[in-house]
Amino acid sequence: MGRVIQDSTTLDVLSKLNRRFGPDDIAEMVHLQKEFQIFSSDRLLEDSFKLLGIVPCDRLERERWFKFLGKLKDYESDLPDVNGYNRVILAFEQALTVTPHIPPRPALPVFVDVHAMAKDPRVTFSLEGTPLIFSVQPYRILSIPTKPGRVAREEAADAAKERRAEKSKK
Amino acid sequence: MSLSAKANDTGMEPGSETLSGMYDNVEAYYSARVAKHGATPLGVDWSCQATQSFRFVQLMRICDFSAPFSLNDIGCGYGALCAFLAMRYPESRIDYLGVDLSRAMISRARRRFQSPDRRFAVGKAGPRVADYAVASGIMNVNVGYSRAVWEDFVATMLRDMRCTSRRGFSVNFVAETAVARTSAGSDAASLYRTNPEPWVRYCEQELGCAVETIDNYGMREFTLLVRCG
Repeated sequence: MGRVIQDSTTLDVLSKLNRRFGPDDIAEMVHLQKEFQIFSSDRLLEDSFKLLGIVPCDRLERERWFKFLGKLKDYESDLPDVNGYNRVILAFEQALTVTPHIPPRPALPVFVDVHAMAKDPRVTFSLEGTPLIFSVQPYRILSIPTKPGRVAREEAADAAKERRAEKSKK
Repeated sequence: MSLSAKANDTGMEPGSETLSGMYDNVEAYYSARVAKHGATPLGVDWSCQATQSFRFVQLMRICDFSAPFSLNDIGCGYGALCAFLAMRYPESRIDYLGVDLSRAMISRARRRFQSPDRRFAVGKAGPRVADYAVASGIMNVNVGYSRAVWEDFVATMLRDMRCTSRRGFSVNFVAETAVARTSAGSDAASLYRTNPEPWVRYCEQELGCAVETIDNYGMREFTLLVRCG
């Protein structure tokens, strides 16, 4: 997202995520998680998404998507001492694990969202909310901080300029 | 539905023009899929490896793993079941034969998995009698045929599986209530959806088998475990 992958890819991946973890498919995902432990600390997040086919079609963009997932290790999260990468795994693991309850409570769908990194640099996960203003369907909400690619590139260029200036001073 | 008219009464005998044309169209459809997507779940019309494997979990319930057995995999595609068996049942001795209409699929399957107990053949049905047969997704995409004609095709496939299975076979179907997203590449109109009842009845009454229906695994489909003899 942002600087790492193209905007169209971000939209495509978000769409895939929100379809697979949406109200229509969440029961399937719960069963898959129970059978294969798709999201677990024993499995790379990249492999979890490969198993689910939540990857860009284009090969280069797919590599960038995996690179982006890896970068989440440098992100903070709303849990102390848990980086963004592990927070995503924990969030899906939690969302797809149904605890016994009488009467049975179906799993809530997961809405995967993005928010401005400038406002909150952490990966966040909330247990219930209604993220779609046109729907009263409750969701769990996983939100990834991001910044527009152009802003990120400009910031990187400015930082490089500063480093060069510092170097020339010396 | 046309199940009351048995396949043999509708000209759907092996070698008949209609059946032959259907096999050709099915073969063309899946050869095009694998040419486009390669030896991947999308290449055999499944959305991802996880759902493909989960279907194998259900289908393989027909097998008794306490002793070695032989298995025909009808519509084996690029042989994905071999990878699943290696992962899930590494200690089991399974004499596997994958059969598919598509030469392109079989070619990929052989490249990936061929070994003395993992063999492949181009064909319409199992060329041998095995302990079990499984078929994943072969009834789903009707390649444009009417419901009645497609159901005759399904009946033919089930009868072939019955004839070539000593102990039992298993097969899955898209459930009638399903929305059109079960198969990744096929559109709504080309999906054959049904209820378990008519096919359970067919297997029990016409094929003389005992049938167990599995429909509680979170997918919009069901699996029939058909026990023979």
